[in-house]
Amino acid sequence: MSPPQKAIVLRVEKTSIHDGAGLRTVVFLKGCPLSCRWCSTPEGQADTVELGLSKHKCDECRICVDVCPEACFSTDIDGSCSLDRRECTYCLACVETCPRSAIQVYGREMTDRQVIELISRDEIFYFHSDGGVTISGGECLAQAAFVQSVLKECRTRGIATALETSLLAPWQALALVVPHLTSLYVDIKHSDSRTHRELTGVGNERIWENLIRLDRLDQELPVVIRIPLIPGLNDSDANLRQTLERISPLKKVQSIELLPYHRLGVATYADLGREYALKDLHPPSPDYLREREDFLRAQNTAIPVTIAG
Amino acid sequence: MKLVMDKNRRISDQSYYMKRINRLKQRVISTRPEMDLENARILTHAFKQSQGEPLVVQKARAFKLQCQEKTIRIWDDELIVGCSGSKIRGGILCADTCWSVLNDELDTISERPYDPFYLDSDDRKLFEQEIKPFWKGRSNYEQWLAQIPDDTKALRDTGVIYINRKAVRGFGETTAGYEWLVREGLEGIESKIKARREELDLTRPGDYEKDYYLKSLLLVADGIRILASRYGREAEMMAAAESDPSRRDELLEISRICNRVPAQPASSFREALQSLYFYQTCIFMEQNAASYNPGRMDQYLWPYFQNDLASGALTTEQAQELLGCLWVKFSEPCLFQDEVTAEFAAGYPMFQNVCVGGVDDAGRDAVNDLSYMIVQATMDVQLYQPSLSVRYSLAKNPNKFLRKIVELISLGTGFPAFHNDDIGIRMLMNKGIPLKEALNWNPCGCVETNLEGRLRHFTALADINLGFVIEFALLNGVNRRTGQQVSLSTGNPDNFADFDEFLGAVKQQFSYITKAVVKGNHVIDEVCMNRPCPALSLTFKECIENAKDYAWGGAKYNTGNGIILIGVADLINSVAAVKHVVYETGQATMAELVQALDDDFAGHEELLKQCREAPKYGNDDPQVDRLVGDLFTFFADEIERYESKFGTMTPGILPVSGNTPFGLEVGALPSGRKAWRPLADGVSPSGGTDRLGPGAVLKSVSQICHDRFVQGTLLNLKVEPEMLRDENGIQQLMALLKSMCSLGVYHVQFNVIDQKKLIAAQQNPDEHRGLLVRVAGYTAYFTELGKDVQDEIIGRTVVREISAS
Repeated sequence: MSPPQKAIVLRVEKTSIHDGAGLRTVVFLKGCPLSCRWCSTPEGQADTVELGLSKHKCDECRICVDVCPEACFSTDIDGSCSLDRRECTYCLACVETCPRSAIQVYGREMTDRQVIELISRDEIFYFHSDGGVTISGGECLAQAAFVQSVLKECRTRGIATALETSLLAPWQALALVVPHLTSLYVDIKHSDSRTHRELTGVGNERIWENLIRLDRLDQELPVVIRIPLIPGLNDSDANLRQTLERISPLKKVQSIELLPYHRLGVATYADLGREYALKDLHPPSPDYLREREDFLRAQNTAIPVTIAG
Repeated sequence: MKLVMDKNRRISDQSYYMKRINRLKQRVISTRPEMDLENARILTHAFKQSQGEPLVVQKARAFKLQCQEKTIRIWDDELIVGCSGSKIRGGILCADTCWSVLNDELDTISERPYDPFYLDSDDRKLFEQEIKPFWKGRSNYEQWLAQIPDDTKALRDTGVIYINRKAVRGFGETTAGYEWLVREGLEGIESKIKARREELDLTRPGDYEKDYYLKSLLLVADGIRILASRYGREAEMMAAAESDPSRRDELLEISRICNRVPAQPASSFREALQSLYFYQTCIFMEQNAASYNPGRMDQYLWPYFQNDLASGALTTEQAQELLGCLWVKFSEPCLFQDEVTAEFAAGYPMFQNVCVGGVDDAGRDAVNDLSYMIVQATMDVQLYQPSLSVRYSLAKNPNKFLRKIVELISLGTGFPAFHNDDIGIRMLMNKGIPLKEALNWNPCGCVETNLEGRLRHFTALADINLGFVIEFALLNGVNRRTGQQVSLSTGNPDNFADFDEFLGAVKQQFSYITKAVVKGNHVIDEVCMNRPCPALSLTFKECIENAKDYAWGGAKYNTGNGIILIGVADLINSVAAVKHVVYETGQATMAELVQALDDDFAGHEELLKQCREAPKYGNDDPQVDRLVGDLFTFFADEIERYESKFGTMTPGILPVSGNTPFGLEVGALPSGRKAWRPLADGVSPSGGTDRLGPGAVLKSVSQICHDRFVQGTLLNLKVEPEMLRDENGIQQLMALLKSMCSLGVYHVQFNVIDQKKLIAAQQNPDEHRGLLVRVAGYTAYFTELGKDVQDEIIGRTVVREISAS
C-alpha cells in the first residue's frame, strides 16, 4: 500500500445536488492560485488552516482574550473581540472555549483514506441517483497526488468521480488525476488574459492551454464549462462571444452553465478579517440572467447553455 | 418542478369540480369546533331503558337509538353525506367511556389553548343534569383511575409515562372491514351473522353469550340501515323543496344512494364512497377515538371505479370530484380529548389514514389510476384530513408514482406520510401475521401498522419519556423537579467505574419504567373488556365467527398493545455525550456533569459547549451511531419480553406532539439540551444538531432496526424549496426516497422550508434555532447567520419562486 497522502480539507458536503450529476459528496480542498474578486468561498483560498471570527455571534465574554497563549485577541472600542492572526499558532484553544462558537477553524488535515471512507459512506445515495464524488476547492489540482489517490480508489469501488477546477495547474497535475475521472467541470472566468489577471490575479494562458490539451486526450470525458456571471466584470457581449468562440471547437464540452453572482460569502470575508472587493455589486435579476442565457444561445453554438447555482 | 405543479394546480382550479370543493372546504374552515352532546343524551336515555340487559346489548340498543333519533343534516353542495353527530365540526362525548374530562373542563373547554371546543349553556345544563348523574361511577375511565397500579401512577403523575389516553376515549387505531361492507352490504353481513346464530345451541354452555352478542351485531346493522334511509328521506324532502333543478337532481341521487347503501352491496364508485363514509361516521359515533383508518382505498375501490369508467357511468373528473367531496367530509369531525391528551396530539387529530400504493397480496405492483387520483384529491383539497399515506415499494412501484408523491411533498402540507413498503410488511409479520396477509398491510394513525378487518390492538397504549431514563440514571431514580424517588435506585453515578456501568444504569431505568407500563397495560386491557364495540366489530369477520367482540379479542389477530418511546435523539445524544465528556476525553467528571445539569448549565458554559460539541446523532457519525443499534435492540427486546392477554407487547417510536409536553418535565440533559424544553420528535435528530443534510440523517436513522419497532417509527425531514424548484431537484428527492428504502428506514415526512418560515425565523430566532439552510456549498443554522446573509437567503427563495413560475 502506498504511504498515506494528506491534504487540508475545507469541508465535505454530503448529498449535494450541485456540482455534478445525482446526489454527490463534494470534497472542498483548501488552497487556490486564483483570488477572484467575487470569490464566495474566500476561506478556501489559503492552503493552510485559518481562523474565522464571527463578530455578530460574539457576546464580549473575553474568554478568548484570556485563553490565547499568544495574546492574539484584544477588545475593540465597541467591546467586541478582535483577532490578530499574525502570531497565531493554531493551538485552537480559543475555538474550543468560545461559549458562543463565534470562532471557527477553516480546514483540517485529512488523509486520503479518511476522505475515501467518508465518500464511501454515501454509496447508497450514489447508487440510486447516478451520483458520486466531486473534488472541488479552492483549486484541488494544487494537491494532485492526494486527489489522484482518492479518485483512483473511488473508481475501484464503482463510484463515479468528478473534478471542479480552474485548470490553473501544471499539466503534470492534470495528467495524474484525469485518467480517474468520469466527468470534469471547468470554471472559465474571462477570455482575455489581461482582464483575467485584473479580476483573479493571474493570466489565463495556462488554463486555455490545458483545456485544449485535455480535449485532445484519447479518453471519454464529458466536460462542463462553468462561467460565473459577474455583472459588469465578465458579462459583456464581447467576452461571452469570445469565450464561446474558444469553447466551440472543443469536442469534449457537453454544456455551459452560467453561475449567477451571489453575495452569500460576504460575511466570511469579515470573519477572516478581510475586505470584500465588490461591496456595492448587486446580484443580477432573473430577467437579466435569462437575457444573458438567450444571448449565448443566440450565438448558434451546438453547446447547450443553462443557468445553474 | 414549480412549473409542473402549478400546471397541475391550474388544471384543478379551472376544473368545474374545484368550485364545489372550494365551497365545501370553506364551510369546514370557517366552522368553529363545538361540543356535541346529542349522542351522549341518546346513549344515556337508551341505557336507562335497557337496564338489566347484557352490556353489549345495551350498547347496541343505544347505538340503534342514536341512528333512529339523531339529527340528520345534509349541507349545501354535498354529494357525499353523513355526520356522526348533529354539528359539522362536533366533538363527540362518549359518556360510557369517559364523561369526567368534560366535567373537569366545563369552564375552560371553550377557551383552552389546545383544541378548544365551544360548549353552549344548554349543552352544559344537559351534561350536568342528565349525562353526568347517570354515568357517575360507571365509566371506563373511572374504572381505570380506581385500578391503576401505584408504581404506574407515580410515573404517570410525574410525566415519565403517559398512559391515560386509552381510558379517556374509545378504541380507534384500527382498520375496519370497509371492503367487506362495501362489497356485500349490511345484508351480506347480516346473513352471515344469522347463519352463525343458527348454529348455536342454547342448551350448550357459552352459547347464550354468543347468541346475545350476535343479536347485538344485528341491532347495530339495523341501526346503520335506518340511519342511511333517514338520510335518503331527508334528501328526498329537500329535493321537493329545492328550486334549483340541478341541485334537485343531486339530492334525488343522494336519496337513491342512501336508500341503497350500505344496506346493499355498492354497485358504483359513488355508492362505494357513500357506503364507506356512512360506516365511518357510525364507528366514530359508537366510540369517539382517533384513527379509524379507511386504509387501501385505491385497492378496494378500484373495481367500482374501473366498471363505472368502462360503462361510461362516470368520468375521471366526476370521480375526482367525488373523492374531493369525501376528503372534505373526512375533515369535518373533531377528536374530543382532554386538555392534556390534546397537548400530546394537538389539532383535533382524527388520523383517518388513507393509503395508496405498495404491492398486492400476490406481491405485484398495486399502483393503479386511482392511486394517482387519491394523491391528487389531497393536492386539490389541502385540508388536514384524511391523513394520506403512501406505501412505496422500491422494487415494484413505478417512478411515475414516486414522482407524483414528490409533487405532493412539494406543496409543503406535510403530506404524504411516506412508508417503505418492505419494512411495513416485515413489521406486520413481526406482529405474527403471515406474509400473505401482511402484504396487505396499511398505515394507521400517523405511522403505525395495521391490517384491514383482522387486527386488534392499541397501537399506542402508552408513551415512555426517554429523557427521564437518562435523568434517573444520573439522579439515582429521583425526579429532578420534585426531588422524590419515583424510579429505581441504580446507584450514585459518581461511583460508576466506567461507561458500561452508566449504560447499565440507563438500561435498568428503562426496564423499570417498562415494567410499570406493562402493569398498567394489563389493567387497561381488563377495563376494555367492559367496552364492547359492536358497530366496529360488525365488519371483523372473525368477531362474527367467534361471536366475540373486538374488545374481547374476537378479531382474527390480536397482539399486545404498543409502547411508544419518545425522546430518541435526546437519549442517544445524552449517552454519547456522557461517553465523550466523562469517559473518553475527561472534559468533566460525572459529579461536575451532574452539578451542571442541576444548574441547567448556568455558570457551566464551557461544559455546555463541550456537551453540545460531543458527537451527535443525525450526522452519520459512527462514534455516536454505533451506540444506537445496541440500545434500540435492547429497548425492543425489553418491551417484547412481556406478554399480555392479547399477545406480546409491541414497541414503536411515534410521538404525535407528545415530545413537547414530555420535554417540559425533563431537566437539563448531557446532550446539551436545556431544562424544561421539548424533546426531539420521533426518530428525528434533535433540532439544531444535524449539520450534514438529509443523507446523513437517513444514515443515522437507519441504525435503528425499524422492523422491530412494529408500531412504526416516525421521521421528520426539512427540505429547502431549492431542492424542489427544478427538474434535477425532483429527481434527487426521488433518489433520496429510494435510498431511504434501501437503508431500511420505515417512514419519512417532509416539512418544506418556505419564505414565510424563514422570515418567522429571522424575527423569532429563539423558536427556530434548529433551522438549517444551505448557504454556499455548506449548510448553516439560519438564525446564526448575519442579517445580510439571512436577507439574501430569503431573497433567494423569492427569486427562485418567481423565476420558476
